[in-house]
Amino acid sequence: MAKVMVSLPDDLLAEVDAEAQRGGTTRSAVMRGFADAALRQRREGRAAAMRSLLSGASPHGGRAAELVKSTRPGP
Amino acid sequence: MTTLLLDASVLLAAFDPEDNHHESARALLEDEEATLATLDLARYEVANVAVRAWRAPESVAPLLAAIERLAGDGGVLVSTGSLLTQAAELAERHTISVYDAAYAAAADAAGHCLVSCDERDLVSKNLATLPGEDS
Repeated sequence: MAKVMVSLPDDLLAEVDAEAQRGGTTRSAVMRGFADAALRQRREGRAAAMRSLLSGASPHGGRAAELVKSTRPGP
Repeated sequence: MTTLLLDASVLLAAFDPEDNHHESARALLEDEEATLATLDLARYEVANVAVRAWRAPESVAPLLAAIERLAGDGGVLVSTGSLLTQAAELAERHTISVYDAAYAAAADAAGHCLVSCDERDLVSKNLATLPGEDS
């Protein structure tokens, strides 16, 4: 696991430390948990939005990669 | 966890049930474990295919909305001058277009893995993997 230096405002660090004390864990573990939860929430939000957008998908004949090339501007 | 950079073909395949890579491309966009990104070029390319090849201008909005969701996930990378210089070198080395090379250069510069449905120019040259073969 990499060790990094992170700059935090004093009041935010105080909140992190209070959270660590409440949970009986370390400052590092709290920040890891927050980062993991935020990124997971972001991925889940994207996945849910994609499910909604893709529900309206309709057939277009396939060959996506070929069509990308054939519709690019010519020389 | 490695971020996957999707080119326009993956987005288009996900929105076209008749594409050979539809199921795997769709599964990738809906994957809650993967972090997904793309390049700004994809906005032009998906819109171009929707209007000029699909003749379905109504598809532009959902395709662009999908790219905006990637912007809020792994991000939409910007085609800078230095990126396109690197892309030009890749294009020359692999005899591919600068457009295709731009995705490969962007993935390389960001430390991402490129995913594409372009078997001829990207997958066969080990510059990208097919959707579903990305893990």
